[in-house]
Amino acid sequence: MLGRGMLKGLWVTLQHTISSFTSGPRRFPKRYLDGPVPRPEPSTQGMLTLQYPFEKYEMWPRFRGVLVHLRDPETGQSRCTACMACVRACPHGVLTVTGEGKGRERRAKTYTYELGRCIFCRLCVESCRFDAIEMGQEYEFVSTTQDQTLNLEEMLALGDRSGIKHTGEAWGQVE
Amino acid sequence: MGFLDALPLTVMDWLRGLLGQGLPAWGVELVVGLIKVVLILVVAILPVIVLTWLERKVLARGQDRFGPNLAGPYGLVVAFADAIKILTKEDIIPQAADRQVFRFAPALVLIPTLLVFTVVPMGRGMIAADLNVGILFAVAIGSLAVIAIIAATWSSGNKYSLLSMFRSVAQLVSYELPMAFSVLTVVLVSGGLSTVRIVEAQVIPFALVMPIAAVTYFLASLAEANRSPFDLLLGESEIVAGHNLEYSGMRFAMFYIGEYAHIFVIGALTTTLFLGGYQGPILPGYMWFLIKTMAVVYVVLWIRCTWPRMRIDQLLDFSWKLLVPLNLANLMLVALVFKLAGTGLLGSLLSLVVNVGLLVAVGTFLVRRARSSTSRRTRALVLGEV
Repeated sequence: MLGRGMLKGLWVTLQHTISSFTSGPRRFPKRYLDGPVPRPEPSTQGMLTLQYPFEKYEMWPRFRGVLVHLRDPETGQSRCTACMACVRACPHGVLTVTGEGKGRERRAKTYTYELGRCIFCRLCVESCRFDAIEMGQEYEFVSTTQDQTLNLEEMLALGDRSGIKHTGEAWGQVE
Repeated sequence: MGFLDALPLTVMDWLRGLLGQGLPAWGVELVVGLIKVVLILVVAILPVIVLTWLERKVLARGQDRFGPNLAGPYGLVVAFADAIKILTKEDIIPQAADRQVFRFAPALVLIPTLLVFTVVPMGRGMIAADLNVGILFAVAIGSLAVIAIIAATWSSGNKYSLLSMFRSVAQLVSYELPMAFSVLTVVLVSGGLSTVRIVEAQVIPFALVMPIAAVTYFLASLAEANRSPFDLLLGESEIVAGHNLEYSGMRFAMFYIGEYAHIFVIGALTTTLFLGGYQGPILPGYMWFLIKTMAVVYVVLWIRCTWPRMRIDQLLDFSWKLLVPLNLANLMLVALVFKLAGTGLLGSLLSLVVNVGLLVAVGTFLVRRARSSTSRRTRALVLGEV
């Protein structure tokens, strides 16, 4: 009967009203979840809305976020040798690298990464033969100017934060 | 009558005494009257601030969302944020509009709603004007709100608004009748039209004595206030937005305030007529009034969060083919029961039995008719077959 259906509907919304307070990860006193939030299962009860600026979803391992430098655990420096492979690979000319030293001692002096023009294609990472750079998990790098850049130290810090040890870990390319 | 219960009255008496020192009798009455007017304005407008927040919260919780939670703690000051936003909007008057009526209509929306509060007893002895035809006044004034809608739509010079007005009037005419019948049942049992008398007559709340009348009154007042599921005149999908389509800025806000004040009026009148008004144990009368009113308001919002909008033919069918005959029968049976058994406990109990029996009988009748019916529409409507 129509009336029974309507009462059933009221019962469903009442249950949801109550369960939004009593169950699920955001149950009553808790407003925001800490850290990266795992994506909820479809069967999860309670409130599922991601409160974006305060909560963020976990990104999947192969997510192509902002470019980071990886630290060599022995020297504590970047492994970059300023071979310019990434600069040549980049379709947009986003990277500018200058090096210093000769032969095996050659290291990157500056490494400039222009955020405003990067298309996150990962060609630079694929061209790197020194295990030096990788795409991280971070994605909130909106720039208000065309020429906003990251330098070597900032990219190293981002690499530390991402927890990535070697290039291509998530792609199964590390032996 | 405890100290807390009588506190507002004590304050009022003290004030009268104080004013009596320097003012003539008519002056005292004038000042007291003005204070009452201000109090009614506060009682009518304050819930609007709470309700704009509450409606969004209740709807959100029913749909597994947070609702407003950034403006202030738990989003409590969202009404003020809305007000500031709406005050900065441009006030547009369409070229085709009848300018004077167009300007006057938003003010007219709020007046009937405010007037109803004059006859609502909000506590023991706390009533602005104890008219001896109180509930008749409330019903008559309540249907005046449609005048504002007619004025607003006709003066807008917009076809969609006009369609909205047609729907609104058809709805009002249909639902005024079952509403009047259910009120009549209450009047019959309580033996008076005064709202205070109706409240005092409810030793057992009338919702338990005659549930059919209570539910009918509640649904009919939803229709009168144009609330979901009877908010046909606000059909966004078919007629853009309805009667407030051409309004913007503060004029639109007046419709908004009127709508929320009307929800509170539904709560207040349902409480007065069927839930025993200010009567209740331990807590002071005005607290009981507030609690009951907010409970009814919650049901209104709960329904908004659940039921889809009814079609116009379903709406009219529901009123003319179900509510009107049901309430006529209910009125006669209740009259008979109370004539035979008296208005005591026995009468109340018998009335409840008769009400439930009537409901079961009508339900069975409808289902049987639908089973033997070959009309797909009837079967779908009553039996839920697709």
